[in-house]
Amino acid sequence: MLKGFTRNFKPLEILSEGELEAIHRGTLSVLRKTGVRFESKKALKLFEKNGCQVDYTDNRVRFPEGLVEECLRKCPSSFRVKARNPKNDMIWGGNTVYFQALSGTRSVDLDTWEPKTPTRKEYYDAITCLDALENVHIIPWYTPWFGFKNIPSVMAMPEGLAARLRNSSKFTCSNYSMGCEVFNIQMAKAVGAELRSSMAASPPLTFYEDAVENAFRTVEAGFILLITSGSVYGGTSPATIAGSLISGNAEIMAGIVLAQLIKPGTRIIVQDFSFPQNMRSGSPGFGAIEISLHQVAFNQIWRRYKIPIDGGVSYPGSKKIDYQAGYEKAIIALIGALSGTNTIWIQGAMYGELAFHPVLAIIDDDMVGMIGRFLRGILVNDETMALDLIDEVGPIPGYYLNKEHTRKWWKLEQFIPRVADRLTYPEWLKGGKKDCLSLAKERYQKILSTHKVDPPLTQSQEEEIERILKEARKYYRKKGLISNAEWEAYMEDLKSPDYPYA
Amino acid sequence: MDTEIIEGLKKAIKEYDTEKAANLAKRAVEEKLDPLKVLNAMTVAIREVGDAFGRGDLWLPDLVGAADALQAAMPIIEEEIKRTGAKRESLGTVVAGTVFGDIHSIGKTMVCTLLTAEGFKVHDLGVNIKAEQFVEAIDKYNADILAMSALMTMTAPEQKKVIERLKKEGLRDKVKIMVGGGAITEDFAREIGADGYDPTAPGAVKLARKLIGK
Repeated sequence: MLKGFTRNFKPLEILSEGELEAIHRGTLSVLRKTGVRFESKKALKLFEKNGCQVDYTDNRVRFPEGLVEECLRKCPSSFRVKARNPKNDMIWGGNTVYFQALSGTRSVDLDTWEPKTPTRKEYYDAITCLDALENVHIIPWYTPWFGFKNIPSVMAMPEGLAARLRNSSKFTCSNYSMGCEVFNIQMAKAVGAELRSSMAASPPLTFYEDAVENAFRTVEAGFILLITSGSVYGGTSPATIAGSLISGNAEIMAGIVLAQLIKPGTRIIVQDFSFPQNMRSGSPGFGAIEISLHQVAFNQIWRRYKIPIDGGVSYPGSKKIDYQAGYEKAIIALIGALSGTNTIWIQGAMYGELAFHPVLAIIDDDMVGMIGRFLRGILVNDETMALDLIDEVGPIPGYYLNKEHTRKWWKLEQFIPRVADRLTYPEWLKGGKKDCLSLAKERYQKILSTHKVDPPLTQSQEEEIERILKEARKYYRKKGLISNAEWEAYMEDLKSPDYPYA
Repeated sequence: MDTEIIEGLKKAIKEYDTEKAANLAKRAVEEKLDPLKVLNAMTVAIREVGDAFGRGDLWLPDLVGAADALQAAMPIIEEEIKRTGAKRESLGTVVAGTVFGDIHSIGKTMVCTLLTAEGFKVHDLGVNIKAEQFVEAIDKYNADILAMSALMTMTAPEQKKVIERLKKEGLRDKVKIMVGGGAITEDFAREIGADGYDPTAPGAVKLARKLIGK
């Protein structure tokens, strides 16, 4: 079992009881009065059968409060999830905090900082790196990248999942696009792993059919459903944080009702993926401090409902691995961790989800180590208070460096970063003035030359994954979603030595 | 009276007052004002807002608010231009929309607003637009420019489909195609055979002018 980190103290809270209750009541009132639009006949019928008021003219569902509260209670407050290797299984909920890698649409050149499309080899190598990093607990969908060279976009998700299952045994996830979840579920089952998949609202207050269909498939497969509200406040939810929380939580609760009606007791994780709108460009305000305010309140609300939380999306606005990227990531991740989320997205991404680099993931992994150490808090007992030792050492010339207590405890108390520069000036000057970026580049090469996935897929698992991929390729080709030119480049790519599975 | 209506309409656009803009447009028609003169005033107003946005004095909610007010008045005046048979001058006709499978509208709305402010006649088809809808609109409005947006990497290839569809229908050479959106790059634009790409809304306006040589 992968324990992740445990927060050993009370979480940071910023809402009063009265404010919490007002937001709760407000959310229920939006669900009852305004309702949520579901572009899915199947879902509408299920809602109607269970006492919701369904308006078929605009596909809007209005929810009775009793049903919403009953469905919230049906969500388990903590649960185990199965990774490909049982040593990477996780228990979600309570005071546990896990970290997951982020993803990017493209890679980036570390000299020019220009975006570039990764190759298949770079894609597989980046997964090897994430598998090796001790503080990456989850390698989610689209990670490391949304796709790679020569892969038709419809195949990006199944190819990505196959790569993660091949080069990592950590818990992974998958998402939906053009029905690819059918193939993803088959692949996970073939290797004995569970998947977390999402049902994302399209704010404001709408779920499209593909999201709903994926919810049905995920729940019916017995996997974990992540219900996401990803509004941009000021654009797709009110500009105020309080209003945005209500609108987003109404979406999530509507999703929870659906999941619990499909199968009571379904394992749910709720996700806050909201950003303030950048009122200049219209893009989400990556790296903004309001993300943290939204997150703290979100965490407080959902801890009250006792449903595991995913959040603290630490996307920086910076396009470089620089000071700005560092402080934006650190602030968002740390506040998320302190305020009681169960999972935080952090390693590897820069400029929102538009770029990812494994070298950045290595630097971020140190940051996670620091946060994880902080969460563990301070252990206070007879041994750590060390009264006898203080008495034994006494004043100067007494000292602690030669004591057994020091040898035992310093390593438990101190976190040692892997690539942060902690040298003295003379050491640093003599060592070539390396910063954390150059140290991370070195570590990346070392990981690639030494790390092996544990365990690799068996021969029959490999064959089964490739069979499912072949089926997906054939399916999308037949559906006309892969053009002739795309197909040719794709088939050529599969013949390369970087793809020994075909 | 004429000046009062026209100045009121300009003010309504600059103050994001949708209802007032629509009412004044109706009054302009009732009072038989020259619809071309009214349209010109509206363009001046939205240009002022667009310029202020470009300078950083106004923000996105202001730009979108003014665009809404403009859109409330525009069909009324356009209808009147059609009815009276007046000849509308414009830099060119643009058909715009976000591609099928993608419901992101902000970038597309920004571009449409700024193109209108520049003096283009813009037909904003909205979001989630299928290839055949683009083709139909290009034909119907005799468009000079097609402007497509896609925010997601998953939907970006849809732009290529639209271009292929245009080729099939023999309309490709009739229009200049510009593409944009979060998922689009210069390379991608070239690859799919678009005529131009720009990552910003003001840049898109310059590009549109360049594409039609104005």
